[in-house]
Amino acid sequence: MYYPYFITYMGIGLAISLAVFYWALNNGQFKDQQRARFLPLADETAPIRIRASRLGRYEIYALFVLAVAGLALSAGVLIFALTRG
Amino acid sequence: MSNAMATSPEKHLTARGFCITSACWMAVATFMGLLGAIELVAPDLTENLGWIVFGRVRPIHVNLVLFGFVTPGLLSAAYYFVPKLLRTRLYSEKLGLVTVITWNLALVAGVATLAAGLSQGREYAELIWPIDMAIVIAFGLIFFNLIMTVKQRNEPLLYVSVWYVLAAALLTGVTFALGNVVWQPDSGALVGIPDAILLWFYGHNIFGLLLTPLSAAVAYYVIPRACRAPLYSHTLSLLGFWSLIVIYTHVGTHHLLQVPVPTWLKVVAIVDSIAMVIPVMAFLINIWYTARGKLGEVHADVGAKFVFTGTIMYFFVSIQGSMMALPQVQRVTHFNNWVVAHAHIGVLGFAGMIALGGLYYVLPRMTGKPLYSRFLADLQYWLVLIGISGFAIVLTIVGLIQGNAWLNGETVYRVLPEIHIYYITRASLGVMIFCGALIGLFNIAKTLLAPSGENA
Repeated sequence: MYYPYFITYMGIGLAISLAVFYWALNNGQFKDQQRARFLPLADETAPIRIRASRLGRYEIYALFVLAVAGLALSAGVLIFALTRG
Repeated sequence: MSNAMATSPEKHLTARGFCITSACWMAVATFMGLLGAIELVAPDLTENLGWIVFGRVRPIHVNLVLFGFVTPGLLSAAYYFVPKLLRTRLYSEKLGLVTVITWNLALVAGVATLAAGLSQGREYAELIWPIDMAIVIAFGLIFFNLIMTVKQRNEPLLYVSVWYVLAAALLTGVTFALGNVVWQPDSGALVGIPDAILLWFYGHNIFGLLLTPLSAAVAYYVIPRACRAPLYSHTLSLLGFWSLIVIYTHVGTHHLLQVPVPTWLKVVAIVDSIAMVIPVMAFLINIWYTARGKLGEVHADVGAKFVFTGTIMYFFVSIQGSMMALPQVQRVTHFNNWVVAHAHIGVLGFAGMIALGGLYYVLPRMTGKPLYSRFLADLQYWLVLIGISGFAIVLTIVGLIQGNAWLNGETVYRVLPEIHIYYITRASLGVMIFCGALIGLFNIAKTLLAPSGENA
């Protein structure tokens, strides 16, 4: 007997959705849509810029080698499979 | 909010917690995916190692990608921008940290139990009851923290991103409990066809009511800011939101067109799968028109670049999804690797890319420090992009081979040699994505842990 669970869920979901929509309608959430377009643009602050360290560069080189190795491995596996497979 | 709180600098501890959670679990999740892909090439590789056989590695990979990497990545960005959009602070950072800890404990327990063979055996709902309950509680905490933040807001209008985040937390908490049948702790399942219907209602809603709304929320926040332009239309975004809520909840049964479920339910699922073009295009038109003529700004910000790429992937995966719901198409594309390609484009190409973009966009802003290395972020972008594009191509080819072979009555074992080379290619592409995850983890950890004044 599974219908009671489904019907309960559907009923709760519908009730919550309608209640929220009704609240939004009466709360003015669908008005002033022009101002809403600009909301994400408020409070923009630029991140701090700081100089590079020598050690950091070496770490990046090492990771770059790791990435190239990953690419080379991918290419190697492909070539091997195509020629011997 | 007290005066002391109002004047003290924000630390965004919850956003940071979910950020490092996402980066760490992405590395583990992609490794598990790579291991699974290798096992498909060499099935004897992990012989006698019961805890990492394919049947256990695969659910670990899927659950970690969904709940370890993508969802926490999107939540990290959401915990940063929801208070910003409401011109207030997060209701409780302590509660947020409790949520992060609960979430991670659930993930650790999930990996341990799945590796030990403790599974409820239902796709996307494999986790056992105590872990299910921990996840439901975590979603409850997220919703409570965010709704209380809404309650104390100083901005009367709710921007569309806030709508999406709140809906994702509430709907997923309820749907997760229902889909995992938490009132039946032993089995976590109903019996027979009703269980299949319920499972796919839940399974597709993990994408439709969790990853999609959270990704849309991040995109609606990041793209206008990166372009320094207002959203093209907030009204259109609300139309997209409400149509998503109405339409997406019905599509799950398109996974069961070959199953004896009621025909009316199949028809509803197919019709609404096609109708998904409404919320999808409402979202994409809005984002793309906002960025129109400003692609230079998008490219200049690595976070926005990830997010914008994710929206392109969303276009492809949505068109593909609507098409795949048609019974005539599904005769060839279902029950084979075409669906695996589709899932990867959706979860990694769309939601995963946007999660990474959200992380890279908010990370410098919540730490007050620049990203440790823009180069490494770009490198990760290309590794993931090439990897996911390759996945899409290779697995789609495999799916078509399998689908046509089986449609023509060919036996499974005769098809396997034909697709072997594609499985090798897929595993090699997995190496790229795993390397990308490691690079991302390093970059994010260095940015989070570096004291102010240090930089690469």
